[in-house]
Amino acid sequence: MNLPIEAYLIQAVHGLVYGMLVFLVASGLTIVFGMMGVLNFAHASFYMIGAFIAYSVTVYLGNFWLSLAISPGIVGSLGIVIERFLLRKTYRMGQGAQLLLTFGLLFILNELVRIIWGGSVLSVEAPALLSGEVQLFGSPYPVYRLFILLVSFLLLGVMALLLLKTRIGIIIRAAVTDAKMVEALGTNVPRVFMAVLGGGAAIAALAGVIASPFLTLHLGLGNDALMDCFAVIVIGGFGSLLGAFVAALMIGELQSFGVFWIPGLALVFQFLLMAIVLIIRPAGLFGEKE
Amino acid sequence: MSRRRLFQLGWVIVAAIALLFLPMLVGELSVHLAVEILVYALFAVSFNLLAGYGGMMPFGHAALFAVGAYATALICNNLPGVPLLLALVIAALLSVAAAAIVGFFCIRLKGAYFALLSFAFQMFFFAVASKWRDVTNGPDGMGVARPDLYLPGLGTLSLVSITHFYYFTLVLVATGVLACYLFLKTPLGNTLICTREQDVRASFLGYNVFLARLVVFCASGLLAGGAGGLFVLFQKYVNTGVVDMNMSMTVLLMTVIGGGGHFLGPVLGAAFYVVFQNWISSLTDHWWILLGVVFVVVVLYVEGGLISIVTSDRVRRWMGVGTGKAK
Repeated sequence: MNLPIEAYLIQAVHGLVYGMLVFLVASGLTIVFGMMGVLNFAHASFYMIGAFIAYSVTVYLGNFWLSLAISPGIVGSLGIVIERFLLRKTYRMGQGAQLLLTFGLLFILNELVRIIWGGSVLSVEAPALLSGEVQLFGSPYPVYRLFILLVSFLLLGVMALLLLKTRIGIIIRAAVTDAKMVEALGTNVPRVFMAVLGGGAAIAALAGVIASPFLTLHLGLGNDALMDCFAVIVIGGFGSLLGAFVAALMIGELQSFGVFWIPGLALVFQFLLMAIVLIIRPAGLFGEKE
Repeated sequence: MSRRRLFQLGWVIVAAIALLFLPMLVGELSVHLAVEILVYALFAVSFNLLAGYGGMMPFGHAALFAVGAYATALICNNLPGVPLLLALVIAALLSVAAAAIVGFFCIRLKGAYFALLSFAFQMFFFAVASKWRDVTNGPDGMGVARPDLYLPGLGTLSLVSITHFYYFTLVLVATGVLACYLFLKTPLGNTLICTREQDVRASFLGYNVFLARLVVFCASGLLAGGAGGLFVLFQKYVNTGVVDMNMSMTVLLMTVIGGGGHFLGPVLGAAFYVVFQNWISSLTDHWWILLGVVFVVVVLYVEGGLISIVTSDRVRRWMGVGTGKAK
């Protein structure tokens, strides 16, 4: 194919936008797994619920911006409730029970979305401020996608500062390495777990909100995101935030260029890549423990 | 023979007689349900062979089910000369081949890693099934006519009637489940349970843990592939539904709700799932949420699944059988 270099650059930006969204959802999943060893199947449902709440806020309150606060608030509380009253019971029961519990929650949350918002496809209108287009590499490009990029890099910066420079960040990173030792040193680890699950849920919901005008909202949204997240945490390494970031960008670009060159087979490559990483390096590209 | 053993044998005979006369006692719709239960029961038993006895929880078991399903459909549609039983055997063997490849990679991993890799393989199979339209016709799927069953020396039997198909399924599923039960009684079966409990110690004792697990993975593939073939013949239709995430979830739900710690737990789970789904979906559209709630309650509060209630000490004593524990 003889396409101008600009066409490739546009595809790369597409991939970057998608990759950053996937990263935001996967970040909570990977930290929770690193800390608690819980592979939360219900995590991508937080993302979907966040997007649907953005729809309701935009329709009933008439203001998209409000959903940036409301949606993570509701979903974050949901995450806290789930950790406190359900997940906490399973820590003594072993990893099998945890997998199964979050698996059951996936059903319940997805079905709740169907009950509340119905089964039809919905769409959210981008705020007027962001609905235009700009010139990018010589062709018009939707401003909204650049907004997604901006917000997700901001969030990445906030998360990095939180994890690297604050006391709670130190505790979280220590707990990822050895939760028992942190507990022995006098930290209330269950409470940190609760906060991390709630925080991860809130970030996923925020990703859902900023993604909502860019996507059509349907009931398969959660499961689609779940597949991408699994691929990301497997490729990047369980519990590694840096790995999740690199892997999410890989998945984003793979999908973007995959659709561009060989439509239809992008999904095949994604799972092939995931399987190859698990086979050759089960800990993932940046993971340390297996 | 101990009293407890006699009691178990009695139950098996009662169940066998009930299953044998079922089509004469209930309506056609219930026979359909019974066939569905039987097929899912075989699938769930194959799942439990890995999850319950091998300690390997696959989140993508539908991959093996789908190989059997698509192979059966393709043979029945394109090679009309192949007898039905041979078609099912070929399908199950192809499923074994797939299991050998998937298992070869999966069983090196443990816990969530194992679950995720098997899930990745299932999604890979799903992507192939939905994109390779020339062969599978993608998500639209294809119809499959139930061929007649030819038995040498006995003539042919049409399987169009659901009653005939019920007996056909009953014989095959009972054979598969019994074979699995006997397999677990062999030294290899004991080795499997040993590797589940202490894999490092088992390998110190000289057992080839990898090989034992691979053989069991293949055995599970055989049963899952057979179940997939029967499923297609029952539905007279196959599409990507046999290989999607829901199918892997369904078999997991059945096994956990029924109880993975007991050989017949998955069978009970399959029966519960099909009957519950049939009953509740006539009342409400939102039956998945109720199923999810049942599932969560079972995971949190009924650790051994529904079968642990039936086989609990209290129920045993009430029925006048020993608990099987030393006095």
